[in-house]
Amino acid sequence: MNIDDDIKKIFFETFPLLTESDFDWEKTQNNYDDWDSFAQLNLITLTEAKFEINFSDDEITSINSAKTLLNVTKSKI
Amino acid sequence: MNTIDQFLTNSSKSNPEKLALIDHNSKFTFSELEEKVNKFSSFLNQFQEKSVISLLFDNTSEFVVSYLGIINSGNVAHLIPTGISNSNLQKQISSAYPKLVLSSDSHFEKIKDLELENLEKKKFSEVKELSSEIRKPSSTDYAYLIYTSGTTSAPKGVPITHSSCDFSTKNIARTLQYSKNDVDLLPLQMSHSFGLGCLHTSLYVGSTLVLQKNPNTSEILDLIKKYNVTTLAAIPSTLSNIVSDSSSDSLQLLSNLRLIITNSTFFPPEIIRKLKNILETGMVATYYGLTEASRSTFMIFDNEKKIESVGKPSDGVEIKIHNTSDDNIGEIWIRGPNVIDDYWKKQYSKNKSDDWLKTGDLGRFDDEGFLYILGRVDDLINVSGEKVYPQEIERIVKVLSGVEEVAAIPMKHKSFGEVVKLFVKKTVASKVTSTDILTHCIKNLERFKVPAKIEFVEDFPRTDYGKIKRFMLKE
Repeated sequence: MNIDDDIKKIFFETFPLLTESDFDWEKTQNNYDDWDSFAQLNLITLTEAKFEINFSDDEITSINSAKTLLNVTKSKI
Repeated sequence: MNTIDQFLTNSSKSNPEKLALIDHNSKFTFSELEEKVNKFSSFLNQFQEKSVISLLFDNTSEFVVSYLGIINSGNVAHLIPTGISNSNLQKQISSAYPKLVLSSDSHFEKIKDLELENLEKKKFSEVKELSSEIRKPSSTDYAYLIYTSGTTSAPKGVPITHSSCDFSTKNIARTLQYSKNDVDLLPLQMSHSFGLGCLHTSLYVGSTLVLQKNPNTSEILDLIKKYNVTTLAAIPSTLSNIVSDSSSDSLQLLSNLRLIITNSTFFPPEIIRKLKNILETGMVATYYGLTEASRSTFMIFDNEKKIESVGKPSDGVEIKIHNTSDDNIGEIWIRGPNVIDDYWKKQYSKNKSDDWLKTGDLGRFDDEGFLYILGRVDDLINVSGEKVYPQEIERIVKVLSGVEEVAAIPMKHKSFGEVVKLFVKKTVASKVTSTDILTHCIKNLERFKVPAKIEFVEDFPRTDYGKIKRFMLKE
């Protein structure tokens, strides 16, 4: 599995109501009903555990879509 | 009201030739045990006044003779777990202030360098049996002294009176239907309230007690077969090992047990179900209690819906939930004859309010009066104003294959104040990953309860009784 697939999988695990047709790399936090600060924490924790990386505060703040999470993750690996 | 020594005296009168005690190399009838105990008591006449005598023994008949000999002569038995660290041992000795420390020959190395004014140190084999008149205790005297495990703070001395012990013992015998026909297997240290309560109960009802030094699974099964054991008292990990390590043929040896009793506030439901399936007609039970308030509830698992409860308050014991929140959760307070008057040397009196013991445990009652334990008040995690009970997270994670033990603690967080950090001990050869655990948590917990950090550990810092020292994880 590549990084893109892993990040996508993390999104489906964090947002169980998300369907394949709803998923969009560009879709931002504001367009998710259930992307609150706790969901953000779950996303970050799961990604950090999966790739054995640590995000900085600035990086965490910048993550507001699947695309930004993917880009920040790629930059750390 | 009986004193503990009268349990033995009464059983010896009723059934002098019946087997009272079996250990790895000796057997005693009730009359033989009584004679041994009386001789030991007379040895203690050398002390002019009622004194504390400390005991460091394995699970053997030597312990039983020494313990009963001490309380039979109106002295106080200070019970020390064999796994105690040297520094804790010295602390307990300095606090308990015994006249004599007595150990099995094999543990003498541990006590020989203890320091205290006028302290005698002896091996059991050095005790000279005398024959003279024995001082007797009264029911209000302290019988024994146990130090708490110190999972949340420094260990505290808990003195138990004969009358309190009499009350708890009769509750155990009545609720769990112990009788003189029982053969009770005890792979538990009697320096702990659980094991000691089993000893008292056997003496009280006049059953036969089989002592086992180490909770080795195959040995437990062998002893059950050899002595036609009817009741087994064991900690949850021993029972889990029996269920997971034994062949189905071996497990059949358990099928005729009348009772399996454990002491956990959380006994994994899958283990309860497996044990209940093995037993043909017997009961699986647990209880909730502290050394300070022994056997405050009993739970006999006969209702799947209540499988996570610790049961209802014991006869004569009152329990209330103090300072309840909207979810009816609060601190558990206990009142009754099983509750201590005060700690040793009147330390830590703040743990009492009138007659109520403030346990520091968090719990709730359901509509039918069953009590559920949710952790410790001090362990509560506050995630952005949301209360998180560590036990809830731990229960969820423990069901994952490859997870042996877990502890959830608060971790400081810039935005949320606190978040959950989880320490995980894996089973041997486990392949479980942080991602597996997090994914499982996200599926089964509200978002704010999902750990923000997971750390794998080889083992946990533990008390001398084997409990996890959470406060050390927080450091």
